[in-house]
Amino acid sequence: MLFALPALAGLLMFVAIPFLLAIGLAFTNLRLGSPLPLEFVGLTQFLRLFADDAFARALLNNLLFTLVVVPVQTLLALALALLLNQPLKGRALFRTLFFMPVVFPLALVSVVWILIYAPGPNGMLNSFLQLITLGEWQPRDFLHDPWLALPAIMLTSIWQGAGFQMVILLAGLQSIPEELYEAARIDGAGRWQRFWYITLPQLRNTLVFVMLVTTILAFRLFEQVQIMTRGGPRHATTTIMYEAVQAAFSRQQVARGAAITVIFFLLVLLVTLLQRRIAREERL
Amino acid sequence: MSWRRLVSMGLSYAALLLLAFLFVSPILLMLTGSMKADARVLVEAGSFRAFLPLDVDLQNYRDVFARVDFGRYLFNSLYITGMVVLAGLVVNSLAGYAFARLAWRGRRVLFGLVLAILILPLEAIAVPLFYQVTLFGWRDTYLVQIVPFIANAFSIYLFYTFFLGLPRELEEAARLDGAGVLRTFIAIIVPNSKPVFATVAILSFLSQWGVFLWPLMVTSGEAVRPLPLAIATFYTLPPLQWGDIFAFGVMMVLPILLVFLFFQRWFIRGVVATGIKG
Amino acid sequence: MRTFLFILVCLFLTACDRGKPPPSATGVVRLSLWAHAGQASERQTMERQVQAFNQQHSDVQIALTFIPERSYNAQVQAAAIAGELPDLLEFDVPYLYNYVWQGHLQPLETLLPHELQQDLLPSLIRQGTYQGHLYGVGTFDSGLALYARRSMLQKVNARIPGHPKQAWSVQEFERLLERLALTDDDGAVLDLKLNYPDEWFSYGFSPLLQSAGGDLIDRSDYQRASGVLNGAASVMAMQHVQNWLMQGRVDPNVDDAAFVGGRVALSWAGHWEYRRYHEAFAEDLVLVPLPDFGKGSRTGQGSWVWGISRRAKAPAKAAEVITYLLQPAQILAMTAANGAVPATHTAIAQSPLYHEGGPLHLFVVQLAEGYAVPRPRTPAYPVISASFRQAFADIRNGMPVQQALDRAAATIDEDIRDNRGYPAIAAQ
Repeated sequence: MLFALPALAGLLMFVAIPFLLAIGLAFTNLRLGSPLPLEFVGLTQFLRLFADDAFARALLNNLLFTLVVVPVQTLLALALALLLNQPLKGRALFRTLFFMPVVFPLALVSVVWILIYAPGPNGMLNSFLQLITLGEWQPRDFLHDPWLALPAIMLTSIWQGAGFQMVILLAGLQSIPEELYEAARIDGAGRWQRFWYITLPQLRNTLVFVMLVTTILAFRLFEQVQIMTRGGPRHATTTIMYEAVQAAFSRQQVARGAAITVIFFLLVLLVTLLQRRIAREERL
Repeated sequence: MSWRRLVSMGLSYAALLLLAFLFVSPILLMLTGSMKADARVLVEAGSFRAFLPLDVDLQNYRDVFARVDFGRYLFNSLYITGMVVLAGLVVNSLAGYAFARLAWRGRRVLFGLVLAILILPLEAIAVPLFYQVTLFGWRDTYLVQIVPFIANAFSIYLFYTFFLGLPRELEEAARLDGAGVLRTFIAIIVPNSKPVFATVAILSFLSQWGVFLWPLMVTSGEAVRPLPLAIATFYTLPPLQWGDIFAFGVMMVLPILLVFLFFQRWFIRGVVATGIKG
Repeated sequence: MRTFLFILVCLFLTACDRGKPPPSATGVVRLSLWAHAGQASERQTMERQVQAFNQQHSDVQIALTFIPERSYNAQVQAAAIAGELPDLLEFDVPYLYNYVWQGHLQPLETLLPHELQQDLLPSLIRQGTYQGHLYGVGTFDSGLALYARRSMLQKVNARIPGHPKQAWSVQEFERLLERLALTDDDGAVLDLKLNYPDEWFSYGFSPLLQSAGGDLIDRSDYQRASGVLNGAASVMAMQHVQNWLMQGRVDPNVDDAAFVGGRVALSWAGHWEYRRYHEAFAEDLVLVPLPDFGKGSRTGQGSWVWGISRRAKAPAKAAEVITYLLQPAQILAMTAANGAVPATHTAIAQSPLYHEGGPLHLFVVQLAEGYAVPRPRTPAYPVISASFRQAFADIRNGMPVQQALDRAAATIDEDIRDNRGYPAIAAQ
């Protein structure tokens, strides 16, 4: 207990208490710096949120983002890990290259990608797509296109996050005992069979871990949105955290921000518990 | 070597090269852009010139030093991040150990709460936390950027899973020799846990280096502000000077890149050996 | 391990040391001052001015801190909660009413010399006055108009208006856009500075609403936006803007080089672009008033102003600093650095760009003759601005204009209701 005390005190002080405060504030009308008296307003903030279509869109976007990014990023990372798990020359170099984006702070990544998504034929992605479609591609303004803005943010996030998952999956792959594969080879199992019956089951826990962490991070999506699209166009890229920060900072509606925080916490808790349950059931 | 094998290897290399190009091109864009006149960065982003620094020009780097006190920001970032990482290693490893190996009342419940806290990003609690530290009179200090981030649920979780996997015999031997719990931890556990320390150090370094929202709220002026806030100086006033932004970006990433390259071996080994893989 | 812990503790102790300023010599008043970071040239000028002031005054010493403008308001709010506002602070003028309402500022009219107040541009006094008191004065004001290239306008036989009275009507302006588009590769001939952040949209485009007879809010009592912001006049004005955008007449201007790069003939922009544009096109550059949507050309005004915080220990000394910054020489130094409109008539007469007949005199005419409209003088302004900005973004992305403005008006009205109409309680 004594050992855990400093960390627990820190978490209590700087995470738990502020969060409890936020729960309390969610039922008030608090506005940053307002000279009006603080009032208890019951569920008003929550009712307003559920009536607000920007917030509904934020929930939907977070869901879409999670549903796309978690599997795609995990698959990409798995592919990279499998490629690098072969006895090839230059493995360490490739591994470092794939991991590099992880090292970049999100604020910086977002700024770089704004330039990549620049509209007009001069834009990097536009001209790249024009090149590979032999001129068929019509230049688009990715970050201002209601259909492309969210996918654009997804792509950026996948680029930034895949390397991290790859390292973990690679570690998982390398700790699978070689004897298992040899036994399978002797039994005449082919490549795919070995993958299905040895690699995947052995990698299971690693995959569950990786997906759990990525899910939590996906729900936290904020900085890319803040810098690249500011939630636009027409709320196409707004997220729960973006709405919370907008309310609390730009509009100084602290109580509303707090209410969003509470909903966020409950939602992510629910999702993670569900994920863990599903993962556990499959194990049986 | 059989034909099949040769072909499969060739395909692997082709895939790796293509993917590596896709992964690295944004970084190349930045690196090259940082060595170009501002106006040309966007104009040339669509051609192969985006990746080739045909004429190296360090003017952007000089501009960065002229526009902000880079040394000051760098020092602040290094200091704050360094402190969070070092103090975090001590505090969180102790907690991870307590949860993994020591028996005490309320352990399970508290660990559940720690896991639940893992969900909460800083953005979610920033405003109440801000009120709180303001009450302490901590605004505009290093302290306010360090102390709240030392205890970290994710780090505790990583230490916890790693320590769970250590063989019990290690400690039992030490206990038989009459060593106390702390002594055992310092003399036996820590030396056997370098990989997890490296992993946690790198991960917390990465997440701390890029912080933006919090220092924005609690600091003003250059005295204690970290690097990510300096980028705001470049990103506000049109015309955007892409070259300067990229030059700043390169200089901002360089320290982390060095840290990562230096600790890479340990980090990879840490990931292999620890709970991070589940 | 033990040495490691020891080092850690030592490092922490240094972290706790906040580097407090040395104790002040007796009789010297120390004033803390916040200024917006701005362009490098503005920063350097500000630093020079502070240095000069400190040298000339043995009894007052200023400590200057620069704050990046993107987060300026958040910084002020944060410092206010912590009770750490500086004695003297610069801020973007539309926030003035909110700060007064929150009780952060004190009136200046009794602190500044009378003659100085007489000499200020009327636009500055209008914008800086709230509930009968003057709370903020700038050393400069802003100008907003269309930059054009004379040669391109002549090529399509366009009339070049020299005074807001003669501004293009919106029909004339749109015909001009079409004629220009015929000579342009991509048909995008207008730069609306779509790349700008935040406040630009309210600043740059609410004058259109007013020119059409609409507005951001009902200014009789500042209690309602509904019926005004989403009224027929405002909707008509924004419909025109949406048409320009949808017809591809507007360059997205991601690189902020649409005008200097020669991609567009017209740039909807402020005084701050003059130097760069003039460098690119020299005497071919011409300034024309914004188009008239029916009720006469209107334009924006207001920029950064100085105020004295309520907790300032020596308001008279702080006012001395403002008075110093408003000396013609200091005004001219700052406006030479940022290109803005000098704040006083005396300084304008000495300004090479703004004096009668100067290339930017149009800005002075707009500010002095009432063509410039102050942004709504209400503590609700941050919400008004954020809502209008959102509406502009929605309109840009194709949402029906009426729907976008309805939504903005509803948000604003809700905010005013939530704050009980922003009653004056904190003041005094």
